[in-house]
Amino acid sequence: MPDMRFAPPNPIRIADRAYGLNAVSVRSYNERLVLSMLLQHGSTSRFEIGDKTGLSAQTISVIVRSLEKEGLVIPGEAQRGRMGPPTIPMGLNPEGAYSIGISIGFRTTDIVLIDFVGGVIESETLRHDLPGTNHVHPAVFETVTAMLQKMNKTKRRRIAGIGLALPDGFNDTAELSSLKLRAENDLGLEVFVQNDVTAAANGESMFGVARDLDNYLFFYIGAMVHSRLVLNHQIHRSGVSSTYDVGLLHFERALGSNGTSSEDLWRISEGSSQYLAAMEKWKADCVATIAGKIRDARQFVEVGTVVLSSYAPRELCQAICDELAKNESGLKALVGKIGQSPKAVGAASLPYASRFTVEA
Amino acid sequence: MRTVLCFGDSNTHGQVPGKGPLDRFVLSQRWPGVMAEALGPDWHIIEEGLSGRTTVRDDPIEGEHKNGRRYLTPCLQSHAPIDLVILMLGTNDLKRRFFQTAPEVAMGIGCLIYDIKELSPGPGGHVPEILVVAPPPMLDDLHEWSGVFEGAPEASRRLALEFEIQADSKEVHFFDAASVCTCDPADGFHLSAEAHRLLGLALAAEVTGIGWAQK
Repeated sequence: MPDMRFAPPNPIRIADRAYGLNAVSVRSYNERLVLSMLLQHGSTSRFEIGDKTGLSAQTISVIVRSLEKEGLVIPGEAQRGRMGPPTIPMGLNPEGAYSIGISIGFRTTDIVLIDFVGGVIESETLRHDLPGTNHVHPAVFETVTAMLQKMNKTKRRRIAGIGLALPDGFNDTAELSSLKLRAENDLGLEVFVQNDVTAAANGESMFGVARDLDNYLFFYIGAMVHSRLVLNHQIHRSGVSSTYDVGLLHFERALGSNGTSSEDLWRISEGSSQYLAAMEKWKADCVATIAGKIRDARQFVEVGTVVLSSYAPRELCQAICDELAKNESGLKALVGKIGQSPKAVGAASLPYASRFTVEA
Repeated sequence: MRTVLCFGDSNTHGQVPGKGPLDRFVLSQRWPGVMAEALGPDWHIIEEGLSGRTTVRDDPIEGEHKNGRRYLTPCLQSHAPIDLVILMLGTNDLKRRFFQTAPEVAMGIGCLIYDIKELSPGPGGHVPEILVVAPPPMLDDLHEWSGVFEGAPEASRRLALEFEIQADSKEVHFFDAASVCTCDPADGFHLSAEAHRLLGLALAAEVTGIGWAQK
């Protein structure tokens, strides 16, 4: 009987286990722990990782070495200390992974390709012929394929998957099933489905202003206004109501729109007195509703920050945030960082969350 | 103050390539000296480099005291508490008299890691940090040493991978010296002063990058 303490080790270097991203479903819990921290904080040091995860420096060393070999992690800019050689933090390699996000809305379908740090590389908006739910635009698959074809082979192998964000009540139609099937069979990419507002909140948590926030209230202003409560990085929604009719649709109605999208409307009527009056009225209604919901939530949980996400102009969102912060003492209101297709970028964050992080 | 023990062979001792056994680079030229200078006054660097040292093998010609395993334990206890042990060995195990493959040499490193962990000479009786450094591959022309090291250059090119596998499986730090320096052509397996400098600076960066808890 040989002494097993000195048995030959597994003849595979840990760094050699993963061949591209397709083998990463077996990523260890500790690897996910380290990647979660990097996705959450951007750049970090080995000390911080050890401090927050309780892993030993030697364990972290093995994991970081393997993540570096895989190209997911790169050394950051050297930081000069008081004495001794500079310390080198580490961060995610923007080119370490890519993800596709698709958000199907009422009037449009947004498709984005993002890198590992949330940078939008490609984006496309498909307009629906007729506004409505349950509509899968016939060009979605071709658009995704075209985006993939623009990538070289190495990058193509680093796609973590496709995130699909759907509004409430979206039925699992035949078109949707066929889209998922083609993505999985023809493109070899796993599809991760999530509610669109929850996906947008996930995007802000991973890449946006909510990155370092454990708890916050999330509001999305689209056609309607939607709310989510994020506690300890977990996104919750009310079982009673989380959708309020004080969104852009409300504003459009005030302008007497008959189906033109608010973007077109803004371009046509911006600056007119009718526009300004309608805008002020809508803003007041919107702020009043959101402020009410914030007060409701704060009666039960301690949240000091509100994140407001929208595709609407940034100045408009900032004005709403300023109003909210003014009315509620001790409240910070932040405009979401993701201004371009926030739901689609949020959708694209789903494959990263599922494949690289520790999901509670 | 943190204590680092540099446990190695002639390339830690600072043997001058192609020269006699008494020719040694001065302290500031040897990699532990370069590393000490780069790390600054908060670090106590102990040099323990012996020419001809193997990982775990008694040398029938040069003597059993060349066996790194025999000396490691008393050495660790002498200098305890130690925060970090750097192991840079392996080249001498490739001598023809031992007839070892690269994985066998790596298992010798594995034994030393095991011994360090068992003794736990770190602060408070804990396991210290351990950094395995793979020596750079030998050159093909070893001059008068070619008989002693027959077949070794080829095996030496596999040491880094095998050492890393050991480091991974035993969960310790690893550094491949070949990423910053090469052996000197004067004898084909010793490091020049420039190689010592590059290695010392690179290891200083590795040492600070370990993620030490604030003291």
